[in-house]
Amino acid sequence: MRILLTLLLVYIANPAVAQQENDLGTEAQRAEGKEVYDIKCAHCHGYEGDASAVATPYLRPTPRDFTSGNYKFRSTASGELPTTEDIKRSIRLGMPYTSMPAWEGILSETEITNLAYYLKTFESAFDGPYGNPTVVEIPRAPSYSADPDHLARGREVFEANQCADCHGENGRGNGESAPELVDDWGYPIRAADMTKRWTFRASATREDIYRTFMTGLNGTPMPSYEQTIDEEDRWALVDYVWSLSRDTPDYGTTVTVQGRSGELVLGDSLFEAAPETYFPIVGQIIEPGRAFYPGVNGISVKAVYNESEIAIQLQWHDMTAETEGMNNPGIEVPMFDPAQPDTLMDGWSDAVAALLPSRTPEGLERPYFMFGDSRFPMSIWYTDLATDSAAVLTGQGSGRIADNGIALERSASYEDGVWTVQFKGPRSRGELTMSEATFVPISFTVWDGFNGERGNKRGISAWYHLYLQPMETQSAVLPMAKWFLIVLGAELLIVALVNLRARRRKTA
Amino acid sequence: MNLFMLLAIAAAMVLIQFVVTRWVKLNRLAWMGIWWAALWAAFSYGINPPLPNSIIVLFMAIITIALVAYLSADNEELKQAKESIVRFMVTRQYRVALLIVMLVIPGAVAAWIFASMNEAPQPPSSGRTIHPPPPSSITFQGTSINLTTANNPIRELQHTDEAAFAEHVANGRRIYFENCFYCHGDNMEGAGMFAHGYDPLPANFNDATTIAMLQESYLFWRIAKGAPGLPSESTPWSSAMPAWEDFLTEEEIWDVIIFLYEFTGFEPRAQGMPH
Repeated sequence: MRILLTLLLVYIANPAVAQQENDLGTEAQRAEGKEVYDIKCAHCHGYEGDASAVATPYLRPTPRDFTSGNYKFRSTASGELPTTEDIKRSIRLGMPYTSMPAWEGILSETEITNLAYYLKTFESAFDGPYGNPTVVEIPRAPSYSADPDHLARGREVFEANQCADCHGENGRGNGESAPELVDDWGYPIRAADMTKRWTFRASATREDIYRTFMTGLNGTPMPSYEQTIDEEDRWALVDYVWSLSRDTPDYGTTVTVQGRSGELVLGDSLFEAAPETYFPIVGQIIEPGRAFYPGVNGISVKAVYNESEIAIQLQWHDMTAETEGMNNPGIEVPMFDPAQPDTLMDGWSDAVAALLPSRTPEGLERPYFMFGDSRFPMSIWYTDLATDSAAVLTGQGSGRIADNGIALERSASYEDGVWTVQFKGPRSRGELTMSEATFVPISFTVWDGFNGERGNKRGISAWYHLYLQPMETQSAVLPMAKWFLIVLGAELLIVALVNLRARRRKTA
Repeated sequence: MNLFMLLAIAAAMVLIQFVVTRWVKLNRLAWMGIWWAALWAAFSYGINPPLPNSIIVLFMAIITIALVAYLSADNEELKQAKESIVRFMVTRQYRVALLIVMLVIPGAVAAWIFASMNEAPQPPSSGRTIHPPPPSSITFQGTSINLTTANNPIRELQHTDEAAFAEHVANGRRIYFENCFYCHGDNMEGAGMFAHGYDPLPANFNDATTIAMLQESYLFWRIAKGAPGLPSESTPWSSAMPAWEDFLTEEEIWDVIIFLYEFTGFEPRAQGMPH
């Protein structure tokens, strides 16, 4: 017994003894992995696996440098190497809302396995005594509980572990230290916005969330909380994080604009009952001044109207409010503005615009969605958030934006990671009339000053619609009753005629 | 094709033909009703992607006419059918059934009116021409290029100088991953990281209806002139395709075209091939 115990101790204390054979694949597998890698991966991760390649400077988060052995997604303890299965999983599922696509279905399972073995060759530690790390077991998740006490406990754990320092008081990725976060390579890195779980890099099931704070994200400021939170509290925290967001982004295409009687007074209560639509925001990479990694990835929109005016509310998450400096859609931006660590104040303020056609569109025609063109100019409802005013600019294309001195009523506030901007203007101005029961094209642009966005370097959206719901909808009851009676009458007539004829024939 | 649905419909027909008729005798009129319903179900649920409603209505109108024509082709048949309808209307024992039918029909009309008046309003749909006819020539960075005769100058190297060709492919790869993959994706499937934010969606080059059926000069035009170069039937105002003449040289565009074909394994449609 004593011998057995001693053996066991030696076994535990000495990883070299404990080590099973490292899972490195065969030479043929690694060679085949290299073939796939050079075609599919090298342009972002580098032919030497060092994240130095043609596309790398344009991407943020920066593609993984495999020579460091630092893998964000792992099932192993903080600081350890990943397992082969972990690497394969990252390849399979990709990283949502980054340039890393999901390769499942594109590469075969064999190719993915070979790739994982090839990736391991970039870091010699995989061949060393720590090359075969142990997996942190993830217990089966108890079913989700929205019990207020349970979520309140989760909130306590959230606070006790200072999650808010980076992720923000309400998890919007806007914590106090969020702007300064960098990864191990000195590149800026954003704390996850917990209210958008579809953007979670290591997937977003409750087990995934559990694993992320158990294992931490190597190479990033996200540590492991394995030692500090006990089992029950872990699930309380998971459920609290889970409760902060809906399942999917639920992107819409039309804002339903409700009618209101009386004056439209800008403020929270005006939009309280109005339906909200969420739109994706992506980088402007179409014209010079391209924004490859916009700071904002979605915008929520509400709108209401009365007899003569329309009010539009735009809301988006922003890590920091840049209310100093300046911005303008017309600012010239160099063709290539490479990724660089942000500096807190580069002098660019946050700004936002709702883009409308300058005249009521006929058919499908509308202005070119990049600030319009001379054929069909655009009305740009614009506000620079360093100022307290807004204006309607006229766009005939990038670099051809005129301010004709048309002021627009505006209200703006920034609270706990959320910008809220409200515009109010006439429903009819110039050649544009927003009539009831019609669809009016609209698109959106957001400038994150912190991210150096100004001029044409901006987050943009495609054309979507405002639909002005008629104030009075026609009831269906009358036409329904009318047609019911008409059809019934016709039937009675037919049946009566047929019966009459049949009786006549009988008597004849 | 939704094979499962079509098989289910066929199975139901067989069941009626061989099993149900043992207990219930079906006259010609009932059979026509069954055929009508079966065809309607096949068009509505058996085809993927679903047919537009207007097409289904058109098909069913043609089928109705065909069935009526079939019935009226034989006088005896027509008479029988007519008689069975008359019998339903005059016989006392069917009175309750007749009443139900007479209420169900106007009820259905009223329900249809209710549904159409409460339908969510649809934004104007954007039917756009995907591959509009190209102009005969374009001006590229000051020089005129005749699109009807233009050939990819790099293409020749494929057979004469493999090493030089490989260099152009590599250059095309660099250009693609510096500029194009944000939208067209790592695999040219049109699913890049920004694709979800654009409408129309970026083209999928793996699809046999894109670069596989186009000439290289056509690609040159689409790449050089981008959305602003599209005719209005292709909604140039909403396409996110940049005019790459602002970013790339002529040779760079030919290189990236070569890379698109090399990566997807397609051959460009040769000049002079019939459409």
